[in-house]
Amino acid sequence: MRVFWGLDSVNGEDKEIGISDLSRVFWRSFLIQTSWSFDRMQSLGFAYAIQPVLKKLYPDRAEYESRLRFHMEYFNTQPYLASFILGAVARLEQERASSEDRDVDVSGIKTALMAPLGALGDSFFWGSLKPLSAVVATALLLAGAWWAPFVFLVVYNIVHIGLRAAALVAGYKSAGDVVALKARYNFTSIAKLFKAISLFVLGGILGSLPTWRAEFRLAVPLSGAVTAGIGFSLTLMLVAVLRRGGSPVKLMLGLAALCLALAYGGVIE
Amino acid sequence: MDMMAFDLHILLSIVGVALVGGIVGLDRTAVGQIMVSQPIVAGPITGWMLGDVTTGLVIGAVLELIWLLDIPVGTFVPADSTIGTVSATAIAVLGSRGSAPPDRIGFSILLTTGMVPLTMVVDTLVRKWNARLAETAVATSGEDAGRKLAQAHLSGLLIFFLKSFILYIVLLPVGLGAVLLFNRLPEKFHSAMALFVKLLPLLGAAVVARKLSVRTLDRFLLAGFLTAAVFTLLFHLPALVVVAMVISAGFLGARFSER
Repeated sequence: MRVFWGLDSVNGEDKEIGISDLSRVFWRSFLIQTSWSFDRMQSLGFAYAIQPVLKKLYPDRAEYESRLRFHMEYFNTQPYLASFILGAVARLEQERASSEDRDVDVSGIKTALMAPLGALGDSFFWGSLKPLSAVVATALLLAGAWWAPFVFLVVYNIVHIGLRAAALVAGYKSAGDVVALKARYNFTSIAKLFKAISLFVLGGILGSLPTWRAEFRLAVPLSGAVTAGIGFSLTLMLVAVLRRGGSPVKLMLGLAALCLALAYGGVIE
Repeated sequence: MDMMAFDLHILLSIVGVALVGGIVGLDRTAVGQIMVSQPIVAGPITGWMLGDVTTGLVIGAVLELIWLLDIPVGTFVPADSTIGTVSATAIAVLGSRGSAPPDRIGFSILLTTGMVPLTMVVDTLVRKWNARLAETAVATSGEDAGRKLAQAHLSGLLIFFLKSFILYIVLLPVGLGAVLLFNRLPEKFHSAMALFVKLLPLLGAAVVARKLSVRTLDRFLLAGFLTAAVFTLLFHLPALVVVAMVISAGFLGARFSER
């Protein structure tokens, strides 16, 4: 039995899934949304990503094509955590290809996992990791660091790509045990932590308003403390308006109208 | 920039921006989502390409916060912040023939915000059209199912690219024409747009705070504000040091609060 990074390949001459096969699935998972549509969402992307494993497991051409078409069924989840389901499906297809009765329920695991992993991934990656990376980068940028975009990309992608790879391996090893995944990575707790830090840094951005880079600095004859206080109060007012149903686009237009009013009112030169 | 400004340089720049913007835009849905399509990255890339990184950084920072939590959940198609950022940067820089002044940056942001509904409509149409790709792949029978699947699936790359490319080719000349009109407006309009840019980070902060917390005055937001204000105004620490201390204090505060 060959062992790859903790992955045991299956005994049998042509029914082995190794790290090279999972690597192909991993790289193809970056294209899971390439043909995203309202009707089938990521269905073709899933089939495309799992294709190398199917090709390896099913030397019989008719069976390979049948399994490929089987995986073109409706599929949609958070694109990063799709790798967990891809890993699980690779494992189940391997078990199916190695058994006599071929009665392994592969479709069931896809259906069961895509909704919970979609919700988990959306709230963790879109709702907490992305805001944290962006808020930290914006704070650095407003402080004058031109390299802030690189910080954004590095912070975000170390976690994103690391978890994407880890989820693929975890999905394969556990055959889709999402409880084990959640036990290993406490996404909910980490998301809460990331959101709290994001809000803290966001407050920090407003507290350092008088020292923002020149392009954003307000030329007002007021002390730094008063300027920061006014900025913070204005932000809270905007939050209150947003809570009452205001949209960012409408508020941008409103802000532009306010600036015009100030200009024509003689408040600004 | 005068009325004869659509010279070869501008036309080539528009095509260049459309090409690069189209490639960067693939990251939104079609490839990877490694976040190069986010405003804070797409803005500086466009600015660097046109010789004015600063304008790209300014526009990127502002639009990053505003569109940060407009996220693709389920069938919802969010605003295309990449097209907004790349267009705003290109219009500001090309409309200035060099380093863009704050008033033109403000006007470009306002103008491209008005284009957001159009980009969402086109994005929705493309995603509806993509259903044909799946139908083609599923209908394929017999030999070469794998090859047909790859062809159908990967042609999505071209479709998403062309969507952005065509939008840039249409929107950028319109935007540059609008800049010509803006240049003729009274000085007060220009002053208003210069102030508009400086106030936009406050709106961005409000949008993010609104989405991350259920409270209008969140305790972490207030604690971060006070921490930064003390370090900045009382101890006069350099801006980057303040950011580092605020991040550290935020981490410690959040962990402490968990207990």
